[in-house]
Amino acid sequence: MLVTELVLAVCAVIAVYAALRAVFEKNTARKLPFITVMNFAVAGVIVLILPHPLTLIAAAAYLVGATLEANAIASAMEKLRGEQT
Amino acid sequence: MIPEPAYIAASAVITLILFVGLDLFWKLPAHAGVSGTETIEREIEADGGDRCGGWMIGNIVTSPDASAGTLIAACGYWIWGVPGGLLAAVLIFIGARICADKGYAAVSGTLLATAVFWALDTFAGFPPETFIAGIVIAILIVQGISPKHISRILGKLWRRCS
Repeated sequence: MLVTELVLAVCAVIAVYAALRAVFEKNTARKLPFITVMNFAVAGVIVLILPHPLTLIAAAAYLVGATLEANAIASAMEKLRGEQT
Repeated sequence: MIPEPAYIAASAVITLILFVGLDLFWKLPAHAGVSGTETIEREIEADGGDRCGGWMIGNIVTSPDASAGTLIAACGYWIWGVPGGLLAAVLIFIGARICADKGYAAVSGTLLATAVFWALDTFAGFPPETFIAGIVIAILIVQGISPKHISRILGKLWRRCS
């Protein structure tokens, strides 16, 4: 088995595991750490499938975009809580 | 001949120490550095976790930190060697600024990780792609198994360091 395939399998399994953990976690804020793990694993998978400098930019853009979305969700929850109290 | 899983396990341990150490150095567990971190910290604390550990986990979720830097550095190093690591530093700096973060932890994490990966690849014979699996396993350990228990460990580490 090639090293790349082994590494790809590790990342893919972790991505699926993290996605399932996020699905079964009921609390929205507590889902976010699992979503982060999934994003990291998917960014790794993107690069491993297509090793090219442009893919690196794509993976970085995906990771930053996903992080920004998590930031937006958490910030929105913060603001909602401020309005309710 | 060292089997590949041993390289992956060693990469996971090295990247875990690297990014947790840098995040502690840049004081991620000290306060909610980015908007939205407070929400995640509150929920982790409500679940029985630690406040400082919760802040660190929240900061990792809401903006690129040393762990994100290490991941993109690993990807960059595998694709393009040291120049790939430097490109990763530029990309992660832009990403941190987008998330309204100063980007110190992210950029220092990327540069230090690139240097460590170069050393491990050159002197210890690590296959470069094992670093990608290593950092993904490291982030799984910190964020994906039990944020409650890990936040307690991170909180203890932070109090011991500060």
